[in-house]
Amino acid sequence: MQNKKFSYLKISMISINFLAVSFITLLIYITTKNICDQFIAREYLNSVSAIPWSPLRNIIVTLLLLCVMTLSYIVREFIYPNNNKVMYITLFIDLLISFVIIYFLNFNYNGILFLVIANVITYTKGTRGRYFLMLLSVAAILIADYELISINFNMYSINDYISFYDSATQQSLMAGYNTIISVNMILFIIYCISVIQNQRGTIDEVNTLYEKLSKANEDLQAANEQLKEYSKITEKMGETRERNRLAREIHDTLGHTLTGILAGLDACLTTIDIAPQETKKQLEMIAEVTRQGIKDVRRSVNKLRPDALERLNLESAIRKMILDIESMSNTHVTFESKVANLKFDADEEDTIYRVIQESLTNAIRHGKATRIWVYIESDNGEIVLTIKDNGVGCKDMKKGFGTRHIVERIQMLKGSVEFDGSDGFTVIARIPIRWGEEYD
Amino acid sequence: MKMSKKKYGIILGCAVFIMSLFTALHFIRKERQITIELGIFAGSNWDVANANSYVIIDKAIERFEREHKNVKIHYSSGILKRDYSEWLSQKLLLGKMPDVFMILSDDFNRFASLGVLKDLDKLIEKDPSFDREKFFTTTLLTGQYNGTQFALPYETVPTLMFVNKTLLQKEGIEVPDSDWTWDDFLDISQKVTKDTDGDGHLDQFGMYNYDWLDAAYTNGAVLFENGDNKISLVNEKVTQAVKFVKQLYDLNQGRKVTQEDFDSGKVAFMPLTFADYRTYKTYPYKIKKYLNFQWDCITLPAGPNGENISEVNTLLMGINSKTKHEKLAWEFLKLLTYDEEIQMDIFRYSQGASVLKNVTGSKEAEVILQEYMEESERVIDNELLSRVIEQGMVAPQFLRYREAVSLATSEIQVIIENDKNIDSSLKILQNKINEYLKQ
Repeated sequence: MQNKKFSYLKISMISINFLAVSFITLLIYITTKNICDQFIAREYLNSVSAIPWSPLRNIIVTLLLLCVMTLSYIVREFIYPNNNKVMYITLFIDLLISFVIIYFLNFNYNGILFLVIANVITYTKGTRGRYFLMLLSVAAILIADYELISINFNMYSINDYISFYDSATQQSLMAGYNTIISVNMILFIIYCISVIQNQRGTIDEVNTLYEKLSKANEDLQAANEQLKEYSKITEKMGETRERNRLAREIHDTLGHTLTGILAGLDACLTTIDIAPQETKKQLEMIAEVTRQGIKDVRRSVNKLRPDALERLNLESAIRKMILDIESMSNTHVTFESKVANLKFDADEEDTIYRVIQESLTNAIRHGKATRIWVYIESDNGEIVLTIKDNGVGCKDMKKGFGTRHIVERIQMLKGSVEFDGSDGFTVIARIPIRWGEEYD
Repeated sequence: MKMSKKKYGIILGCAVFIMSLFTALHFIRKERQITIELGIFAGSNWDVANANSYVIIDKAIERFEREHKNVKIHYSSGILKRDYSEWLSQKLLLGKMPDVFMILSDDFNRFASLGVLKDLDKLIEKDPSFDREKFFTTTLLTGQYNGTQFALPYETVPTLMFVNKTLLQKEGIEVPDSDWTWDDFLDISQKVTKDTDGDGHLDQFGMYNYDWLDAAYTNGAVLFENGDNKISLVNEKVTQAVKFVKQLYDLNQGRKVTQEDFDSGKVAFMPLTFADYRTYKTYPYKIKKYLNFQWDCITLPAGPNGENISEVNTLLMGINSKTKHEKLAWEFLKLLTYDEEIQMDIFRYSQGASVLKNVTGSKEAEVILQEYMEESERVIDNELLSRVIEQGMVAPQFLRYREAVSLATSEIQVIIENDKNIDSSLKILQNKINEYLKQ
């Protein structure tokens, strides 16, 4: 919309300049013809201080130059818009053309410079070239004034040609000429005002946008704060849920079992003196329930990842576990790792940790071992985990003695495990490791 | 968008190419044939009959075109002298000014001030073969405006004094020498002014048409300072001149001398131009006028403060300041004005004198002048002619000058006839003319 308005204004300015230049050159041409037809050329020469080079040539040259100027406007505006180089070249051409036209019109009309200034104002926003071109054009307007220049140079004057006619015609010609000049001036002023208004509109728009942006920024910050709150609450909620789950688990398994045991034991207390045989059976049942309870507890606890492994790396977690076991029993555990950096994927680490934990528990619980050796080494991309003890061993391997878990875990990682109970008890697990990039 | 830009670029390129092609063609055509436009008028500049008005020009053109193969020189024939100024002014207004053209003396100052004429000083400086000294100083001065040479002289005509030899012989008076004075002039006039048939009226006179201006010039008066639009009448030289003319006038006792008196051989002296002299002294015009007496030409008599000089009229030629063929125009102008062969033709085919000292002073010129005259006639001495031209007075060359001078002449006539106080009347007249010139 705005651009369209400017285009119309500029096209009007170009048209009025065409009109002005045609008016002057045609008036001179027609008047010259009249003078010659009336055979008063010599007399006319006495009343002028200069004459144009050639009236006909003036028409052709000035109108052609105006056409070139229009072409330069089209190139600048429509063919290569927003091209700085083209803009400066065409503006400079415009300025040169206007000088030539003014020269051909002998400074009788300098309104063409307003057109150049209007273009300079529009296109060269805030650049240094703008001030240079503006200064040049304004200086040209001041200098290119007929009254001023005609003091020093002989130049033809449009008034000389107008004064050839009778006074009525003179008046209408002067009126026409002055109207054209005034319209050009008015168009220029309207154009300047429009440009100023347009620039102010742009500033307002920028300010509004800036305000909107600030508000959006604030909103975003508030949302961020809220999100943090939410995340805290969610964390808390997770914790609570976990507690509830633990409570339920304990209640469901341990509570149930303990209640069963308590009821069984109460029954035993009443029957122990009357029917010791019955009581013995009863106690065996209680033991069975207790065993089942322990199994359940173990299962529940297994669902939670060991704390140590969560907090520490694998090696530290293993060492901590060993230290804990040594402090609780008389067993001495030796741990040796030939793998430089014990760092694997979470499930692998988990498995290694669990296998060691189970084996150690088994060695103490079933083998009554006093010394346990734990080795970790790598072989052909596999981790070979060896846990050996000096316990009683086991001639007849029975599943369920804590070995079932080990087998299951190792199988999940597509590894293999061997048990040897001939000399103490030895567990040799081979776990194929997905060597990640973390492994040096 | 990119495609359309490319298209625009191609269109623009084509336009530029076609335009440059046309320009190139234009220049090639120009190269092939150059036409120099020449502005001349028919007939004589000196208002005498001339049957050979284009002969010299045609000869010059033929020679120039022979020397410059691709050049044609064109002129419009048949423009009379009285129409020439208007014709040239129209050409000027329409922007079709000829490249080389004759300039009438009334037009010279106006054209020079309008910037129509090329500054020849620059061309002269660039041309080592050109020597200003070869021209008569007066004639060269005629082509100057504000000290700049804007035109070159083509033909020149001094004013001479016609002498009725038959009348003087009858009265037993010798034809005066070329260094005669006002006193001689007055003395002879007194002697010849008489009533020959005894009817009580004077019927033989000393002079016809000799006016205050002739007297002022021969008394060293300068009426117009160079570049100054003011006449100067209030000085001793002019006053002496007017008083002298009044003395001559008084001899006639109020009887007005006419051309008829002169033609019938009853007047001893009359100023006339060298062109008149040549026209009516040679065949065929000789038989039309002055048939019943013998006559000759001498210089004008010198006043107490002056010499035997007179006004020199020069026909000028200039170059259009906007000519496209500056060099050729200059060459052609030089051929017409500076070439001795062409200038010799002035004596052969025209009525004036050459503007070149070498030509006018040559034996050949004398032979040419003699050729058309009778054996017994004394031809004007070349040395004398050269001197008259060289020392002559140049009349200012603006339109108003003639009007101012004719105004002065008629007013002075009134002063003389009415016996007014000359000093105070001249003061009033000077103010009046300057007032007129200021307008």
